[in-house]
Amino acid sequence: MTTRTSRSPRWPWVLLAISAAVAVTAAMVVGPDAVQGQLSRILYVHVPSAWLAFTAFGVTMLMSAMYLWKRDLAWDRRAHASAEIGVVFTGLAIGLGMIWAKPTWGVWWTWDARLTLTAIMFFVYLGYLALRRTTDDLEARAKRAAILGVLAVVQVPLVHFSVVWWRTLHQPPTLIKPEGIDMDASMFVTLMVSLAAFTTAYVAMMYKRVELARLEDELLVAERSTDGPVAGAAVSTPSIDGGA
Amino acid sequence: MKRYAKFVIPAALLVVVLIVLMVNLSSALVYYNTPSELVDRAGSEDRLRLGGRVVPGTVVDADGVVQFDVEDCDVAVSVAHAGSPPQLFQEGIGVVVEGTWDGSKFSSDTILVKHDEQYRTDSDDYDEATHACQES
Repeated sequence: MTTRTSRSPRWPWVLLAISAAVAVTAAMVVGPDAVQGQLSRILYVHVPSAWLAFTAFGVTMLMSAMYLWKRDLAWDRRAHASAEIGVVFTGLAIGLGMIWAKPTWGVWWTWDARLTLTAIMFFVYLGYLALRRTTDDLEARAKRAAILGVLAVVQVPLVHFSVVWWRTLHQPPTLIKPEGIDMDASMFVTLMVSLAAFTTAYVAMMYKRVELARLEDELLVAERSTDGPVAGAAVSTPSIDGGA
Repeated sequence: MKRYAKFVIPAALLVVVLIVLMVNLSSALVYYNTPSELVDRAGSEDRLRLGGRVVPGTVVDADGVVQFDVEDCDVAVSVAHAGSPPQLFQEGIGVVVEGTWDGSKFSSDTILVKHDEQYRTDSDDYDEATHACQES
């Protein structure tokens, strides 16, 4: 455990730079929507953010299930990394959605089913991240997180289909519906390019975050192993009630 | 037995909470009502949300009050909105207005635009037929 040669790869970042450049260019040159005008360009960042959040939480569920099955902390670290990225992109989807909502709907926020459920999903996954900090026992942490990681994924279909199941201000899906894709081909291609770029970002961030999580775990274990009589005599453990 | 209870009690509580939430929220999850649903409640004092399509040719903007009809597949309701609507407001677009019944008219103080899920670069390509009569 002295040297670690398995560093996260560089190729996803190269791919991300290329795909992001293509996506930004496409989103800038594609024709605006006839009703919404230039505002419709937010589509190319709002939708991929939401899609990535769903994907990330789906991956967290799979990795959590794998942990519960195999009891290997590597799965737990992947679940953690994916949840963290998912929270970032949920926040991004909400923020970009608000920026879009103000000029189109006329309000930054309203409590319709889609928005409310998305906000709940955001806070539940923040809770997942908080739960991970309730103990530094790696096995206990992994088990608690994995159970929540599996359960919390029910929110993904709930959020996605909220606009179909309930009457909301948010419009129903454009891409996944029985009549097919309700969008011009040029806009659809741009959205797909943007989705690809966002997905590449996810892959790049996952590699990096999993690497970091492994180093964090190793640090925690290393700190604990040096926590013997020598260090114990020199360092007092901090405690809540101030007694030392 | 105790280990068993540790899982069953929270699970049972969770199910109860979910059922209570779903039952109570089912009306709250409905963001607005259609003109057909609300015409029967004309005269009520309740604050309501009315959603539908702005009937083309009915928009009259005068003295800070915008008047227009909102329709679903069956009924159209006359709305008087005090204030200026959002920039996307136009004939044929979806709106949700908040306010109360004022006789047979709906008096609104808040208006939101509900745009649809169609994206077209050319307005001629919009499928008006599917949205002229919005069921949801």
